[in-house]
Amino acid sequence: MKEHLERVKAQDFDNGEFIEKVMQSASNISNEYSAFITMAKDKPNGILPISVKDNICTKGIRTTAGSKILDTYVPPFDATAVSKAKASGGFVIGKTAMDEFGFGTFSTNCAYGAPKNPHNKERVCGGSSGGAACVAYAADFPHIAIAQSTGGSITAPAAFTGTVGLTPTYGLVSRWGLIDYANSMDRIGVIGKCSYDAALGLSIISGYDPLDSTSMNRGATDYVKSIGNDVKGMKIGVPKEYFDGVDKDITENVWKSIKLLESMGATYEEFSLKLTKYATPAYYIIALSEASTNLAKFCGIRYGIEKQISGNYDEYFSAIRELGFGTEAKRRIILGTYARMSGYRDAYYIRALKIRGKIISEFKAAFKRYDSIATPSMPILPPKFSEINSLTPAQTYSMDRLTTAPNLCGFPTISVPAGTINGLPSGIQLIADHLNENKLVALASACE
Amino acid sequence: MGVMIGLEVHCQLNTDSKLFCSDSQDHRGKRPNENTCPICLGFPGSKPKISKKAIEHGMTIALALNCNISRTMFFSRKTYFYPDMSKNYQITQYEVPLATEGLLSVGDLKIRIRRVHIEEDPARLVHVGGDITNSEYTLMDYNRSGVPLAEIVTEPDFTSPKQTRAFLEKLMNMLEHTGVYDPGKEATIRVDANVSIDGGERVEVKNITGFENVEKALNYEIIRQNSLKRSQMKIARETRHFDATTSTTKSLRKKEYEDDYGYIFDPDLPMVRIDDEWLAKIKRLMPELPDQRVARFVSQYGLTEYYAGVIVYTDKRFADFYEECCRSNGHPDIVAKWAVNYLLKSLNWRSEKISDSKVTPKGFVEFLALIENGKLNERFAKELIKEYVDTGVSPGELLYKTKLNISEEDLRDIIAKVLKENGRAIEDYRSGRKESLQFLIGLVLKETKKQSNPNEISKLLTEMMPR
Ligand SMILES: [Zn+2]
Repeated sequence: MKEHLERVKAQDFDNGEFIEKVMQSASNISNEYSAFITMAKDKPNGILPISVKDNICTKGIRTTAGSKILDTYVPPFDATAVSKAKASGGFVIGKTAMDEFGFGTFSTNCAYGAPKNPHNKERVCGGSSGGAACVAYAADFPHIAIAQSTGGSITAPAAFTGTVGLTPTYGLVSRWGLIDYANSMDRIGVIGKCSYDAALGLSIISGYDPLDSTSMNRGATDYVKSIGNDVKGMKIGVPKEYFDGVDKDITENVWKSIKLLESMGATYEEFSLKLTKYATPAYYIIALSEASTNLAKFCGIRYGIEKQISGNYDEYFSAIRELGFGTEAKRRIILGTYARMSGYRDAYYIRALKIRGKIISEFKAAFKRYDSIATPSMPILPPKFSEINSLTPAQTYSMDRLTTAPNLCGFPTISVPAGTINGLPSGIQLIADHLNENKLVALASACE
Repeated sequence: MGVMIGLEVHCQLNTDSKLFCSDSQDHRGKRPNENTCPICLGFPGSKPKISKKAIEHGMTIALALNCNISRTMFFSRKTYFYPDMSKNYQITQYEVPLATEGLLSVGDLKIRIRRVHIEEDPARLVHVGGDITNSEYTLMDYNRSGVPLAEIVTEPDFTSPKQTRAFLEKLMNMLEHTGVYDPGKEATIRVDANVSIDGGERVEVKNITGFENVEKALNYEIIRQNSLKRSQMKIARETRHFDATTSTTKSLRKKEYEDDYGYIFDPDLPMVRIDDEWLAKIKRLMPELPDQRVARFVSQYGLTEYYAGVIVYTDKRFADFYEECCRSNGHPDIVAKWAVNYLLKSLNWRSEKISDSKVTPKGFVEFLALIENGKLNERFAKELIKEYVDTGVSPGELLYKTKLNISEEDLRDIIAKVLKENGRAIEDYRSGRKESLQFLIGLVLKETKKQSNPNEISKLLTEMMPR
């Protein structure tokens, strides 16, 4: 990427030829790995190829959020992250595959086909930004994948594909144009081949946006500057709960990365995050409560497929939703609706909000002592598609246990490759206090 | 226990924009669905942004109703599936509303206000070929979608439908005085009324427009519930709809249990904090309220409580009209007398409000000047004001046109006198000398100092001529 930008700067570059090559290559990746839902059709213009997760609106390019219910939705506006990327010379090559509305850990709940892991096509890419990570790894051209996370949807596929996934502080990147899963946690971030690409991508898409009321009012930051910054003296906390039940080889690789950082002058300390076991249930309760209201609009009146159906409007809504949503979407709508109904609301939704507050405090206290917290990115190596079918929903949800807490609390994270095991990638997740992306970029580039 | 009534009043707020987008709040004269954008249509990917002005209007209402204002508040999603909502949830306030625990006095009646909160208006449904219960099909107009509403919820403190009407009239007058509500923009006030008798089940009549209709709907409901009770039938807990054409209510849906809207905090909208400075600013900008205005009219214009009250409580524009007239007429008591006793009566006769009428302060002041200068006698003035309200032609012009500065009654007296004194001319006229009529008209004109109309005199003369 760095070399590409230098060539562009030196005008040692034929743009038309470049774009043609990129589009051809992207199309090959799409055919090979089912990484895209929709390819850009109009001849694009720009110097920086970007792929956009399909739940992020692109003006004039179909945006389905991975769901059949939005099969024909073509947004009339760009998401702010996309318009910012365009303003920096970016052009959209296509919309990347994902679990329907982000509902998944493996990119297997896909209405338009599951993306395949470029390391081994029998295995999953991770989710829900699976297509984004797949393209980031497979691309033989400079590229930034605009991805998105609610509970770990950037970290998981980054770890499974051996790419760098940066999930920024909640509010740093505008959510305008993001089709909501759980608004209080949804974050747009980036996946790239290396920490340079991720840092560059974040520098381009971050910044205040009046269209998103939860956007932070701060100026643009150049995160690329933090690449290669000295990690000497940085303190890293290693929470023991985050190694429970983690694949032994992955644990080993993560420790190798920590020791590598130590060799560069960082120090580490093991400690305990006692509320860890509450994070995943709290995450799912809040996320699904919000999701069940977000998905209410897809009922066949203004949004969602349209059909001639007799009966009253309730019957019509039910028929359309029955038809348009996949199994996991239906499961999450029902769970989320249940958690916020009177009689259950206090025991689930309100209680989960309180737990979120406590978990934030626990992390904040840890960040008084540590610059960053290091954990494995995922507890397992990328599984085979055939293995996924035997998992119960609860087992699948538990795969998110290392990523739910930072997502629940809006802390920035970066997932960096931590070596391979039998040719399959593993990842280390670094978490920092709000707005400390610069520390994450420095640590990530040191790990590479 | 008797009758217990509580009201939920929804008032469209007079802001520039809608509650969460920059579309105009005012959609008069626009084609259906023209006044919309991705936000108020709930496009996937769009996000709401709160209008500060709407919150300020809400604060003004809360202060006028003597409420406690919450210093931090949230917006919530009230989820229910209904075709008038683009998102199938309404953004409203639930746990922490803008304000609580207020009071509004209407004469001796004290009505407690439970809460005031801000929410978005849904779209307008047009039921083609019938009403909500039996129409052929329904059209949706989102021009109204997202218009800011203040919902004012009372405690069930009313014991008669008549009280609710008096309350609503006072409330509307107050809202108009605060400037947060502008009926000129065709803003509406919609009312949901809860009514129960003798501690029985609560029936909700939804979406009533017009205060007269609120009273009618409640009267009908009380009669209906009483007759059910007399025939020992169960009063079901339900939601009903008021049919204005028949003045009856119809069942919409039975309620087995409380509505369950599954409220969550709207995660797109951060907490709103009202600090001391903001609250002080709204207090400082608080306009004069009706009760204060009545007191001022008494002291400033020397009016009696009665006149001041009638002028202010009729409606804000009538009070504005009165003050405008007083600026160019030095006798506020005379202005008040004519405004209340004659102008208002003529307006009421036509069921017109001053703001919809052709009457202007300039015209009314001119009318009063004609009386004061002796060009118009009081008896005739009472007739002329009616004509002015009817036609809008300025009083001076009316007087010039008709020259009829004399009431018909007075004219008849004069004609009778002239006829009595001129038996000879009458006989001449009868024997065919038509010019005798002109002679008689001349006499009458002379008697009225030319302040009457010859055509009118001719008509009356032939009519009153002894046969
Ligand atoms: Zn709008």
